[in-house]
Amino acid sequence: MSIFLSNEIIVFLLIELILIVLMAISQVNIVTIVRYWDFNATTPLQYALEKKNYLINTILYFTVSCKVILFLFFIQSLNALSGIVPGAMCSAGVVGANHYGNALLLLKLLLIFGFGLWLIINKLDLGFITFPYLKRKYLLFTLLFAGVLGEFALEILYFSNIPLTVPVFCCSVVFQAPKLPFGYTQTLLVLFFYTIFGAILVLNHMKQTMASFTCNLLFLFIAYYAITYFFGLYIYEMPNHKCPYCMLQKEYYYIGYLIWGSLFLGIFFGIMPFLIERITQKSYDYLLRYSSVCHIIMALICSFYVVRYYLMTGVFL
Amino acid sequence: MSKIAITNLNKLYNPNKPNAFYALKNINLSIEEAEVVILKGVSGSGKSTLLSLIGGLAKPSSGEILVNGQNIAKLPDIMSSSYRHKEIGFIFQSFNLLEGLSVYQNILAPLSLTSLSKEAINEKVSRAMSLANIEHKQHQTVGSLSGGERQRCAIARAVVMEPEIILADEPTANLDKENSLMFIDILKKFKALHKTVIIATHDTLFDDQNCIDRYVHMRDGEFVE
Repeated sequence: MSIFLSNEIIVFLLIELILIVLMAISQVNIVTIVRYWDFNATTPLQYALEKKNYLINTILYFTVSCKVILFLFFIQSLNALSGIVPGAMCSAGVVGANHYGNALLLLKLLLIFGFGLWLIINKLDLGFITFPYLKRKYLLFTLLFAGVLGEFALEILYFSNIPLTVPVFCCSVVFQAPKLPFGYTQTLLVLFFYTIFGAILVLNHMKQTMASFTCNLLFLFIAYYAITYFFGLYIYEMPNHKCPYCMLQKEYYYIGYLIWGSLFLGIFFGIMPFLIERITQKSYDYLLRYSSVCHIIMALICSFYVVRYYLMTGVFL
Repeated sequence: MSKIAITNLNKLYNPNKPNAFYALKNINLSIEEAEVVILKGVSGSGKSTLLSLIGGLAKPSSGEILVNGQNIAKLPDIMSSSYRHKEIGFIFQSFNLLEGLSVYQNILAPLSLTSLSKEAINEKVSRAMSLANIEHKQHQTVGSLSGGERQRCAIARAVVMEPEIILADEPTANLDKENSLMFIDILKKFKALHKTVIIATHDTLFDDQNCIDRYVHMRDGEFVE
């Protein structure tokens, strides 16, 4: 049996293909719009381009929004695939089934951030009569479209290389060989987690967009390891279960969606003001407030599991 | 600065098709504040197209339409809607009223999109009904009104937002002479209120009315002497 015959993958790839076709049509038109755009002109060409611009904006708004939603479906599909991939107990086994999985996931995450940035710039652009960010917005989309094509190629490579006869490694390997970057210990990891978390809150409060951008990128890395290798233990209530995906399952009340969702949103709102400032030359530091709120939600949930476990058992894992 | 300044305006329908045709050809027109202008011409001369472009209901193929110095042809759709809502009062030949609603509710409709207080809304609706002389029918549904009453209801709806510009497309085409003369009376009130009014019509009743400042004749999408 081929993995391409599973319902989730058929639906996922079909939607991806439709979105790519729509994006490709838009991209062709974008080249014409950017090449001949002159807002002050009142020529037939400029009016035609303005009409075309509305159409392309609508298509892109739809496709980009779909891509963001499709990411959740992708995660859900990976979870569902664990039922047919031998050895896989959750998405960890499916993602780790070949060396394309983690690269694909990382690329998807980067693209999600890129799409979010595009949606914000698009909204700002449409807020003015003169479309001041039109060219930059379309340049950003062109970069994202190149990423989407790469992503699709990676998806095909990934899905076509998932072995269905040879058992894959899953959380079990994570139980046995927990690896932390740079030889960090759990204590050091947690210390870094709360230090950077606190720093982000202070920087966000002081509206230091560049510093917050840097800290948030660092926090993405640290928080991933802290949640997987420390807080996860308290969520699963097992000292060796170090998996970023199992918490997305029903057994854990889907809490992973809230934890990872608030983390990624916190990071997103933390890095956006700096990037938007670079593109629009205007301040959007109010987004840092949303970043703080999301990070606080994530940290509270993670800390809650640790405190609850300690109160129940009197020990730390 | 003119209230409305139109420069080199063209409107091409069905572009790149065999049946493509220019509804407006190189139109240049300047209308001052509080001016009442009549666009005259036979059916298909481009009067309605010109009104729809000034009203932001359609976009030109080329040229510019400055209203209070702003090229409304360049407005994004959402701003175009806002422009129509706040700046323009439309009076249509076929009235375009909501049949199932009362006169009061029809006139209230544009105000329902604003954040005005109930008292302010009531005051505006009353003023508009008084101007159009329709307050005595305010609780009746539109379906039970005569043609002249419907037109007066449509006029009240057009002015309830207190727009500076009023556009009327063949406003007397569906009215008898008595109601048409009543429309001329309302037109005089618009003049007294310093509204800028553009009326597209081929009704001879508008000829030689002293409340009208200018007559512009159109033929085949162009102005003629």
